[in-house]
Amino acid sequence: MEEIAKEKSIEDLEGHKKLEDEYLAGWQRERADFLNYKREEMERLKLFVGYATEDILVKLLPVVDNFELADKELTEDQKKNGFVKGVLQIAGQLREFLKTQGVEEMDSQGKKFNPEFHEAVGEMEGKETGLVGEVVAKGYTLRGKVLRPAKVKVTK
Amino acid sequence: MPKVVGIDLGTTLSEIAVMEGGQPKIIENREGSRTTPSTVAFAKNGEILVGVQAKRQQITNPKNTVSQVKRLMGRRFSDASVQKDKQLLPYEMQESSDGGVEVKMGEKWYKPPEISAMILRKLKQDAEEKLGEKITEAIITVPAYFDDSQRKATKVAGEIAGLDVKRVLNEPTAAALAYGLNKKNNERIVVYDFGGGTFDISILEISQDTIEVKATGGDTHLGGEDFDQKVMDWLIDQFKKDQGIDLSKDPLALQRLKEAGEKTKMELSTSMESEVNLPFITSDAAGPKHLYYKLSRTLLEGLVREYIDRSVELVKQTLQDAKFSVKDIDEIVLVGGQTRMPAMQEAVKELFGKEPNRSINPDEVVALGAAVQAGILQGDVKDVLLLDVTPLSLGIETLGGVNTVLIAKNITIPTSKSQVFSTAADSQTSVEVHVVQGERQMAQDNKSLGRFILDGIAPAPRGMPQVEVSFDIDVNGILNVTAKDKATQKTQSIRIEGSTGISKEEVERMRKEAQAHEEEDKKKRELIETKNTADTLVYTAEKTLKDFADKITEDVKKDVQEKLDALKSVKESDMVDEIRSKSSELSAALQKIGETLYKQNPGQ
Repeated sequence: MEEIAKEKSIEDLEGHKKLEDEYLAGWQRERADFLNYKREEMERLKLFVGYATEDILVKLLPVVDNFELADKELTEDQKKNGFVKGVLQIAGQLREFLKTQGVEEMDSQGKKFNPEFHEAVGEMEGKETGLVGEVVAKGYTLRGKVLRPAKVKVTK
Repeated sequence: MPKVVGIDLGTTLSEIAVMEGGQPKIIENREGSRTTPSTVAFAKNGEILVGVQAKRQQITNPKNTVSQVKRLMGRRFSDASVQKDKQLLPYEMQESSDGGVEVKMGEKWYKPPEISAMILRKLKQDAEEKLGEKITEAIITVPAYFDDSQRKATKVAGEIAGLDVKRVLNEPTAAALAYGLNKKNNERIVVYDFGGGTFDISILEISQDTIEVKATGGDTHLGGEDFDQKVMDWLIDQFKKDQGIDLSKDPLALQRLKEAGEKTKMELSTSMESEVNLPFITSDAAGPKHLYYKLSRTLLEGLVREYIDRSVELVKQTLQDAKFSVKDIDEIVLVGGQTRMPAMQEAVKELFGKEPNRSINPDEVVALGAAVQAGILQGDVKDVLLLDVTPLSLGIETLGGVNTVLIAKNITIPTSKSQVFSTAADSQTSVEVHVVQGERQMAQDNKSLGRFILDGIAPAPRGMPQVEVSFDIDVNGILNVTAKDKATQKTQSIRIEGSTGISKEEVERMRKEAQAHEEEDKKKRELIETKNTADTLVYTAEKTLKDFADKITEDVKKDVQEKLDALKSVKESDMVDEIRSKSSELSAALQKIGETLYKQNPGQ
C-alpha cells in the first residue's frame, strides 16, 4: 500500500517538475520575445520616423508644384512687380527648405522616358519618340530614392 | 523551414504577407510600398514591367498594358462577362485554341495565368529580397464565387511563377481568419468587401474548424473608383457653373482633379470637411483660373448615396437567396479600402444591428488572413497563449469627483500600476478609495466597481501624507486595488472580479457615451481642476500670510490679501477663466513675498 502511495507521489512530483520546467521555459521565452520585440520596435521606430518625414515631404510637393505653375503663368512684366518678386522669393524659401531636408529635383526634360522616375500623363509630338517632351510636375528624390516620380508628357 | 507566404492577388492591387513571430505581416515591395498594382506592361523598349512602373507608362502604351486580368482568369471567351470586359479594357483580347481568353502584349498573345504569374513573380522576388530567403510555397486567395476553372487558372499562375500553391483560399475566408473567427463555433459571418473596382458579398458558416461558403453576391463593376468619379464630376460641374469653363476637355486638369478627388474622398473618412485647392487649373483670355472648393462629408455622402444603398440592397438580396435573415448573422467583416467611409460602416451596422469587425486595415486583411492560413499549415499558429486586454479604463475618484485613470483601456493583462495620492484637508486621517470603470471624465458617470476606506493616517497638513494606490489585474481579469499609507505602512485593499468580463455591447455603449459627452466632460474636468488648483493656492497664501506675518511689509501683505479675497470670491463660481486669471494674479503676488524673504536672508 505504502509502496504504491510513494510511487504515486514520485510520479506526481515528476509531473510537477516537468510542468515547472515547461513554465520556466515558457516564461524565459516570453521574456526573450519581449526584449527582442523591444529592440525590433526601436528599429521600426527609426524607420517609421523616416517614413513619417517622407510622408510630410511628399505632401508638401503639391505646394511647390503650384508655385511652379504660378511662375510659368507670369508675364515678364508681372515678374518685375515688387510684390510678385516677394512671393516668388517665398517659393524659393520653400524649395530651399526641401533641399536642406535632402530632397532633390530630378532633371527629366529631354531624358529617355523611364517609368522608374517618370509617370506619363500624356503624349506630345517630338522629333524622337520615347523622350520626356515636357515636365508637367517635377520629380523629386530623397537621398537617392524616388520620393515622387516626375509627371511628364512623352514624345511620340 | 522555408516560409509559406499568403498572397492576395487582387483585380487592381495585390499584397503579400508572411507570419512573423506569430503575427501576420505585410511585406513591402522593392518600391517600398505595401501594395502592388496588378498591372503588367510590355514597354516600348521590349522590357516587361510589373506594378507601379507598368502603371506609370500606361497612358503612352495602353494597348500593351494589361490590368484587371483577374476578370479574365479561367474564363471562356464566349462568357458574357468577358464580352463586356472586352469593351471596357483597352488592350486586345481573342479566343484561344481551347476556347479560353488570350490577351495581346507586344507581339505576343498571353493567357491570363501567364500575366498573373508575372505579378506573382514580382511579389515573390521582392519579398525574397526583403526577407533574405527563398520563397517556394504560397497560399493565394480568390473570390468565393470563383469556379473550378478560375481556381485552377490561379493555381497555374502560381506554378508558372515558381510557387507551389499549397491552397487556393477564398478571400472572405481569409478575412475571417485574420480576425480569428475560425475559432468560433456555429456562427454565420457576412464579409462585405468593397474594393476599388468590385463589390463582393459572402456569407460564411463556421462549424468545428471548417469555414463553409453559404452564399455569394455583389457587383463585379461597383467599387471605390466610382466614388472618385462622382467627386470628380461634381468638381467639374461646379467649376463649369462658377467659371463657365469645362475642365473635362483638358487632360492635365483632369489628372489633377482625379488625384485631388481621391485625396478628398479619403480625407472625408476622418474629417468632416476637406478642401480641394488647385490654383492655375486652367486659364482663359482674362488670365489664370483657380479651383477652390470645400467639400463636407455630408456632400460626399449625398453624391454616393445611391452606391451605398445599392450595396445594402445587394446584401439583402444575397441573404434572401441563401434563405437567411439579418438575425441569423453573428459577425460582419469589412474588407476593401472604401469601407473606411463612415457612412458605409453606418449603413452596414444599421442593416445588421451590430458593430462590424473593422479593426484590421481593410486593404490588407485578406493577405494577412492568407498568411494566417499559411501559418496554420506550417504549424506556426498553435494555440498560443492568448492574452486579454482591458475593455475599459480603470481608475479612482479623486478631489472634486474627477476620474483619475490608473489603467487605460486596451492594455494587455496581467498588469499593474500604482500612483501616489494625498489628502485634501488638514489633519485628514482617512481616505476613501472609489474604484470606477469607464471613459467618462467624472467618476460618477462611470461604472462603480467598489469602494473602501483607508484610515489611521497620521494627522498632517493637507498634501503631506503619501497614500500609494496600486491596481493589479491578474490573467483572469481579477482586479486587486490596494491603498497604503507610506508613513504608517497601513494598508487596505479590495478584490474585484469580472472587471474584464463585460459584454461587447456594454463596452461599445460606454465608449459611445464617453464620445458623446467628450466636450462637456472635458469642460467639467477643467473647471474642477482649476478650482482644485485655486484651492491649493488659497491655502498656501493664507498659510504664508500667517507664517511670515512679521517678515513682510504691510503693502505686500495688503496686496496679497486683496488678490486672495478676489480669488475666494470667484472660486466657487463656474467661471473657469475668471478663476484662472485671479489664480495667476495671486500666484504672482505670492512670488513677491518669496522674493522679499530671500532678500532678507540672502545667504540661506
